[in-house]
Amino acid sequence: MARIDGDAEQEIDAYLTKLRARLRGINEQDVRDIVEELRSHILDKMGTGEVTTAAVVATLAALGSPEELASEYMTDNLLTRAEVSRSPLRLLESLFRWASLSIAGFFAFMGSVVGYLLGVSLILCALLKPVHPQTAGLWILQAGTDDLMISLRLGFGSAPTGGKEVLGWWIVPLGLLVGCGLVMLTTRFGLWCVRQYRKSRVFPPGQARLKN
Amino acid sequence: MKKADPKDQEAGDKWEVQLRKGCLELAILAALWSQKLYGLEILRRLESDSDLIVSEGTVYPLLSRLKALGLVRSEWVESDAGHPRKYYALTPAGKQRALDMSKTWATFSSSMSKLLAPLGKGK
Repeated sequence: MARIDGDAEQEIDAYLTKLRARLRGINEQDVRDIVEELRSHILDKMGTGEVTTAAVVATLAALGSPEELASEYMTDNLLTRAEVSRSPLRLLESLFRWASLSIAGFFAFMGSVVGYLLGVSLILCALLKPVHPQTAGLWILQAGTDDLMISLRLGFGSAPTGGKEVLGWWIVPLGLLVGCGLVMLTTRFGLWCVRQYRKSRVFPPGQARLKN
Repeated sequence: MKKADPKDQEAGDKWEVQLRKGCLELAILAALWSQKLYGLEILRRLESDSDLIVSEGTVYPLLSRLKALGLVRSEWVESDAGHPRKYYALTPAGKQRALDMSKTWATFSSSMSKLLAPLGKGK
């Protein structure tokens, strides 16, 4: 068994504490598992006999900084959860993380938000039509003198003056169909984006290489 | 012969990195095919058997992802070293995935080899 002096022990603890602090959004049990696994890895790398602080520092350096390592865990964790669950919220969570890193991610996130909002609004409109038969639906409104404006109304409040409802009861089947279609398409788009995001993450230099 | 442009060199390096990154999952599943191993053992297997030197900071998050996908399971086992070790083993889904991937790999590499054969003769 390795004999570890106080300084070396402190180095290991400081590294793992920093890592733990950065593993946000991962459940407590998994965080404990990750930290204990890495502690076990570090101890195994030390082998038997006296352990110097220099050896510990070299082992920790090989793992990368706590920030980099945590980021690998977090991104993998988010991407995997998004892919496995296919839930819109998980997808948006992953895309939001990507959005904070790049312009492409920002557009992917915004595109998905708009897709989901429009899809959900159409479904809601279809469902509320029987409750508000006079006011819910797709309206064409006069905006200014020459401009027309299309407005999807859920029917709360009074009917707009000078407006014309275009779809009538057709909003129910059409709203449900198009709304559900949009939600599904947005999910597929989001998953595609998440996969592109995974592909775009190039390993830092030296992370995977062939022996010379 | 013309010296390689630094830009071409960089594109080649990127391609190599992506290629290896793509193989890493299969390499780990293959290492676990016949026995359960802990993280450092997997790293050493990859190093000794595949020429793939993988950074330690890459393999642990990847193992955690494979576990979340249900391709491997893990268990803590007490060791003589005085601390427990986290062992990984393939699940039935992981075995199936490894088989599927290795089939794809075999087909792909044999057709690539055919295509690349003239390049070897031209040396």
